[in-house]
Amino acid sequence: MINLYNHIVEYLINAPAIIQFTWVLSVVFLFVIIGLIIYLNHIRKRLRSKERIETVYEKKYEQDLIKYLYSGNKDQEITNEQQIIVNYLRQCASSSLKRKLISNTLLKLRNEISGEMADAIQKLYYQTGLLHYASSKLKNKKWETIASGIKELAQFEIKEVHDEVLLHVNHPKREVRLEIQRYLVKLFRFEGLEFLNLLVCRLTEWDQIRLIEILKKFENQETPDFSVWLESSNNSVVSFSLKLTKTFNQYEAKDTLIKLLSHSDPAIRIEALEVLSHFGDIESFIILKNDFNQRTIEEQEVIFKIMESLYEISDVPFILDHINNENFEIKTSALKILKAIDDDEGYHLKTLTNNIEFLEKTNLNNAS
Amino acid sequence: MGINILSFVLNLFEYLFFGFAFLAILSYLLLALISIKETAIYIKKNSFVNYKDILSSSISPSISIIAPAYNETLNVVDNVRSLLSNHYSSYDVIIVNDGSKDDSLEKLIEAYDLVKIDYTINVKIPTKPLREGVFKSTNPAFEKLIVVDKVNGGKADALNMGLNISSNKYVACIDVDCLLIEDSLQKMIKPFLEAGDSKVIASGGVIRIANSCIIKDGKLIDVNLPTNMIVRGQILEYLRAFLLGRMAWSKLNGLLVISGAFGMFDKRIAIEAGGYDTHTVGEDMEIIVRMRRHMEELKIKYKVAYIPDPLCWTEAPDNMKIFISQRNRWTRGTIETLKKHKKIGFNPKYKTLGTISFPYWLIFERLAPLIEVAGIFYFIFLIIIGNVKWDYAIAYIILAYLFTVFFSIITIITEELTYHQYKKRGIGIQLIITALLEPILNHPVILYAAIKGNYDYYFNKKLKWGEMVRKGMSN
Repeated sequence: MINLYNHIVEYLINAPAIIQFTWVLSVVFLFVIIGLIIYLNHIRKRLRSKERIETVYEKKYEQDLIKYLYSGNKDQEITNEQQIIVNYLRQCASSSLKRKLISNTLLKLRNEISGEMADAIQKLYYQTGLLHYASSKLKNKKWETIASGIKELAQFEIKEVHDEVLLHVNHPKREVRLEIQRYLVKLFRFEGLEFLNLLVCRLTEWDQIRLIEILKKFENQETPDFSVWLESSNNSVVSFSLKLTKTFNQYEAKDTLIKLLSHSDPAIRIEALEVLSHFGDIESFIILKNDFNQRTIEEQEVIFKIMESLYEISDVPFILDHINNENFEIKTSALKILKAIDDDEGYHLKTLTNNIEFLEKTNLNNAS
Repeated sequence: MGINILSFVLNLFEYLFFGFAFLAILSYLLLALISIKETAIYIKKNSFVNYKDILSSSISPSISIIAPAYNETLNVVDNVRSLLSNHYSSYDVIIVNDGSKDDSLEKLIEAYDLVKIDYTINVKIPTKPLREGVFKSTNPAFEKLIVVDKVNGGKADALNMGLNISSNKYVACIDVDCLLIEDSLQKMIKPFLEAGDSKVIASGGVIRIANSCIIKDGKLIDVNLPTNMIVRGQILEYLRAFLLGRMAWSKLNGLLVISGAFGMFDKRIAIEAGGYDTHTVGEDMEIIVRMRRHMEELKIKYKVAYIPDPLCWTEAPDNMKIFISQRNRWTRGTIETLKKHKKIGFNPKYKTLGTISFPYWLIFERLAPLIEVAGIFYFIFLIIIGNVKWDYAIAYIILAYLFTVFFSIITIITEELTYHQYKKRGIGIQLIITALLEPILNHPVILYAAIKGNYDYYFNKKLKWGEMVRKGMSN
């Protein structure tokens, strides 16, 4: 055995440099692999035990909180028993994992109950020092810490930090901006849309849909005048305001909407068109018909699509001009509209279009 | 003189193989590092996303799920039910029955109360004609379902029919037997709705292997590791490709493939680029390359997005014959696509696509099996002429093996630290054993399939898709 060892050592000492390097690398890889296998085993165990610990603590905190809620006394602001629980939770809150678990449990309970008990939970959020931890995150340098702080403050509906939150409205990280927008809209409802006056960054379509879904949950709220933002220099704000106008049926914005039909961005023009059609505004179509050929193909398609449900008999000459349009969508829409107009008017498709094959292909051949 | 030439040629080959191996290892490590970093960033950012907000929204964009079906009688009814149970608010499901010879259509008609309807089809991409026509359900519960019965034309042709039929802006093209995770559509549509200066033309997600997993009513209930070594090897291979490769390519905006099992597209761009190519067996890769080429030629800034979340679970081949047939097809698909778009290769006009992605795929995907086989022949030749430096050979072989194992274990650790799908006790050690055995058991088969794919491409032109017998995932 010793001989073999000596032989190998002697061979390696005398081997060319490249072989020495290869063997050294192999040995390094071997040890790294062994280390990684041990590490893998460790993280799998840790992940399993973390799950176990989380379940145990969640259960424990839930029990403590329920005990807190039911050990109140009308005569005292806080009973001794409650104070003990508050002290215990405050002590636990110094650990980030436990703090997260306490917050989650508070939130879970808060969503399940209402009235005085929900208020007690809210009070507990202050008493345990969780508010301090969350609001201090706003001063952190890491974007994820700021975002998680704002997220928690929004979940617990802490309005006091409004000004501090608003400072980050144009934060370079989109995730932070999203949390701010969510915080403002969730807590201050339509008033929270004030951020639109300050926003210089882009509000993506995803963000817009999210915010509208939050706003839709607040019924019977007085809506502000969205037309201010319809004239914003930030195109994404205009797009968002168009969605708001449509969702909350703000017909008063009609004049501004008509102006947007001449906006420099074709996407905004199309969106404005769709909002006007949502309001069943026939007048705007007079403008559109006049400069139809100057508009993009996408706009022309949308105009005809909308006309399928908003046509008038007086539109027939305009429609007739397009029954042989090269664009399939426009041509089909034109024929569909004519098909819908009573045959008594004398618009027999087979006599109007030079393309019978097209009628058959589009199942419109039974129109006359 | 003769000996000198032989010695020169042997030295040349030696440097060539050594250089190739060095560059391959370097590129794998580089891609892995970028992928790990990007996945960590994605997970951090994703922890702030609430997908439920968009779930019920009536203003979220509509999506068409296009699923071609050919002789899927065994599972088609269950698979369609699974597709119809997605949580997204605004979508339709277009099943294209591509001339099935079995009773798939009859089963669908019966199960979903389908009736034939008049349907206006805008034939933007030519396809084989309709056979029985277009069907919709009389039952309001299945109003999202459209079934199209057409003459057989292959998967690409069926997908093109779906593109023609769809009236939505976005299309998700999937294999009908795939199991989509409930929030998969929200996750796939997100990059399109978040696009800034660069237009997102397609997005792809991670495909996971569902063999041995428990699936009930179209939902994934329990994740298990199969006992079959062929499947286990593929699990590791998929993890390597999806976790330690594609995320990096996405970051570099050089992603050339979105899995045919599940990908989402901007329909207008897909149609402008000409839809799926019916003359290739690698239509999933080809359409991405063509869409990218189209955007580069139009000089429009664009992006192909990638979602590292496991969004789709599929059945992998569990026997040697089908496994080889699948890999053979993948090889032919790669050759066809690279050959068709050779203009892109090393062409700075196509930026990352031409100068990084294409050359990488050509050298490390297309040519890799050929270089490897050349290396084996070279080694055999050296043995024959008695010129093998055994100490070199053994040292290199051991190093190559250890690197492969090292890379696989890094992949497993990445999976544990990110998505942790294989939670059960004991699976960790089974995955390590797979990592140790896979280079010896699976890799030679993959190499053989790739060489056979090359042979079939050049000498057996009639060969098309090959068979894939489904056992079905419903348990």
